[in-house]
Amino acid sequence: MNRYEKAAAVGVALMLLAAGAIFLYAPDDALQGPVQRIFYLHVSSAIAAYGCFAVVLVGGIVYLRNESVIADRFARSGALIGLLFTTVTLVMGMLWAKPIWNTFWTWDARLTSTLVLWIIYAGYLLVRRLAEPGRQGARLAAVVGIFGFIDVPVVHFSVTWWRTQHPGPIVVNNALPPEMLATFLFTLVCTLVFAAVLIAIRYRIEALLDAKLRIAEPIQVVPAQRPEAVR
Amino acid sequence: MNPFRVALAVARKDLRSEWRTRELVPALAQFIILALLIGNFGFQIDSRSAPSIAPGILWLALVFAGLVAFGRTFAAEREQASLEAMLMTPASPVAIFAGKALAASALLVICEAVMLPALSIFFGTPFSADVIAAVLLATVGMAALGCLFAAIVARIRARELLLPLLTLPLWIPFVIAGGVAVQSAMGLPGNYQQAIGLLIDFDILFVVLTSLAARFVLDE
Repeated sequence: MNRYEKAAAVGVALMLLAAGAIFLYAPDDALQGPVQRIFYLHVSSAIAAYGCFAVVLVGGIVYLRNESVIADRFARSGALIGLLFTTVTLVMGMLWAKPIWNTFWTWDARLTSTLVLWIIYAGYLLVRRLAEPGRQGARLAAVVGIFGFIDVPVVHFSVTWWRTQHPGPIVVNNALPPEMLATFLFTLVCTLVFAAVLIAIRYRIEALLDAKLRIAEPIQVVPAQRPEAVR
Repeated sequence: MNPFRVALAVARKDLRSEWRTRELVPALAQFIILALLIGNFGFQIDSRSAPSIAPGILWLALVFAGLVAFGRTFAAEREQASLEAMLMTPASPVAIFAGKALAASALLVICEAVMLPALSIFFGTPFSADVIAAVLLATVGMAALGCLFAAIVARIRARELLLPLLTLPLWIPFVIAGGVAVQSAMGLPGNYQQAIGLLIDFDILFVVLTSLAARFVLDE
């Protein structure tokens, strides 16, 4: 096993442990019943997705400042993994909403902004696919990634002014019983580790793809020298 | 070089070339009329339902007309490879970008001058200063963002495909706030003042951000 395989094994094992905690340790919700167990992974993967998109944001800013290929690879990996976790969040949220709200979807601030988040980073990955690989594509994608990150709170804020149904943050409000809180925090840590493992593996894949396309660190510009006189 | 004079010169050049060819504005105006026609047959519109449907048709038509307009902004420059020539001059890329955004938004305002009266003729909705103010305020920020992304996709294959995918999600805040503003101006419940304030905030935010980003998009 190389170290990526080991890391993947640890990540999967942690997620299985989290599943055990969710289904065996956490108590049933008094009002919602077993459906409420969706909460743990739903919120954890949302936080993991925000973390991944923060990687895209920071990677993009660093790339625009000093054209570091490493930052760009991190941004690419973060966008893909973040999109994955956003998909998980949206699908699990819809499955939870159907029995509780009696609808899969409502145009609430948090749902709308999460959907916009998904669309923006899907667009980011399309830019990466369609633009010429290398400096140009990386710069353009960095701008898209930065604007995407800014747009999400803006959408959230603008919908919040008019309509909202999604519950607010209950973890920070100390509204969870201790077993639920422990399960949630454990699931959160496991999900974040899993996301980090996925980003690391994706980074390796991007590095190998770059090597195939021969995208290396920018070539140092050597000042022109006068040709030596031929004797 | 004074960046304001550069921006105005670029805008004047774009508008003059549009005036000489007269391609984009007639096409966009016809596009908007067609969108209103489709809206009319797609919905069951009577005098009672018109105020609740017309704002939606207005924003749909405006957003898609905007995509066409901004998609054309850099098309001619690309075909003639004249953008590179402009960037080689000592003028700052941000000023050039501002000029192009200015020209594109002027064209969009002309389209709005067709759309808003047509909307009130076809659907019987009020044609008031409140509606015009909301649409114009949204145009400012939409033009800045639309031009930025038009500049981005100008360098990419399949640009027609990608421009809507990138631009529409970033326009959503303007559609949300502008939607509420137009709805309340047409007599539906909604806080007009609040929506207009939000539109102004978004304009400031995105104009500042795009002018910061323009350097990285245009610079070679």
